[in-house]
Amino acid sequence: MAAILSIKAGGTPSGNWDHMMAAAQQGDAGAYRALLTELTPWLRRYYARRLPPGAIEDTVQDVLLAIHEKRHTYDPARPFGPWLAAIARYKWIDRLRSLKASATEPLDETMHAPDDMEGAVAGSTFQRLLGELKPSQAAAIRLVKLEGYSAEEASRATGQSVSLIKVNIHRGLKRLAHIIRADADAD
Amino acid sequence: MQTESLVDRLSRDLQPVRRRSAGRDAMYLLVLALAEIFAFLGMGFMRPDMPTAMDQPSLWWKLGSMGLIAGLGAGITILAADPLRSPRRGLRWIFACIALIFASGWLIDAGGNDFGQLLLRLDWRNGLQCVWKMDVLALPPAIAMAILLRRGAPTDREGTALAAALSAAAWGAFVFVFACPSDDPLYIAVWYTVGCTIATVLGRAVLLCTSRW
Repeated sequence: MAAILSIKAGGTPSGNWDHMMAAAQQGDAGAYRALLTELTPWLRRYYARRLPPGAIEDTVQDVLLAIHEKRHTYDPARPFGPWLAAIARYKWIDRLRSLKASATEPLDETMHAPDDMEGAVAGSTFQRLLGELKPSQAAAIRLVKLEGYSAEEASRATGQSVSLIKVNIHRGLKRLAHIIRADADAD
Repeated sequence: MQTESLVDRLSRDLQPVRRRSAGRDAMYLLVLALAEIFAFLGMGFMRPDMPTAMDQPSLWWKLGSMGLIAGLGAGITILAADPLRSPRRGLRWIFACIALIFASGWLIDAGGNDFGQLLLRLDWRNGLQCVWKMDVLALPPAIAMAILLRRGAPTDREGTALAAALSAAAWGAFVFVFACPSDDPLYIAVWYTVGCTIATVLGRAVLLCTSRW
């Protein structure tokens, strides 16, 4: 968390990301490669607190692609950290929206989650955000999107109809995106 | 694809990039606005009684109002194409300006016209033509805004697309002012609102799609 606060404040963990990005804009492939390599674990940590585990790596790759495509929008006169944090947050909201549209497949019964996953997810920012939703919306998202149950199984577990489960997922994820943007505006 | 492979692919054959500049974007939009005005007037669309119309406060009201919204919207769009900037505060300013525009139009109307013969004053046949023309004139700025947003990195796409669409709509109406035959504030308030609303709604929907990144 301290690293993220430092990023938002303009600091960067390695201290020279600003220079590496400026060099990358000039076409320095070595600096760019080093920068992306350093950013990857930072992004994984960032999304580990905010997204279901299955969505983390895809989102990290989305951000790396976005950094590449939009690298001309970085102003070297300003710190790199807030620019990176803005893109990471944008892609976070984008991913939450895409979760609404993504098909949910039942988990293989032989598949086991790592022992520490439940604890990690329970302590995540994503879980905190779920707490701001209506209980029926949070339950639908938790069961279907985090734990991998089908809409029918979630319906039986919660007593909500299948269509209500889908509506609650849709509205809940939309509300989550709104909360995140409101936080960003407040910042 | 593995993330490490992606990093390799992205950093291989890296090319230098030209940094985005808000000043340069503003200059491009200004050049486009001047080009559209000169082309429009060059095609002979200017109202024939322009010297007389320039004595009417309502001409300056509509010209100033549309110019203000177009300029404000364009400025907000340029700033919000930076991932660190939000268009929300700017949009609040635009809506405050629109409220002031309607209020000042009402004052001009109350000073020079009575409220009788509403349907006659609205002149719906001419009004629909005005709507059509101002929406066509909003197309070039809307395309320019789409290019600007594609090149930028707006992180609040809904707000930025709305600001860009409002700007394009007001821009089209601003250019149309030079040809608009009516100086009646009621006519202007109704038909310019209809034209700008149509351009804003359609423009926002299209710009929302094109600004995705």
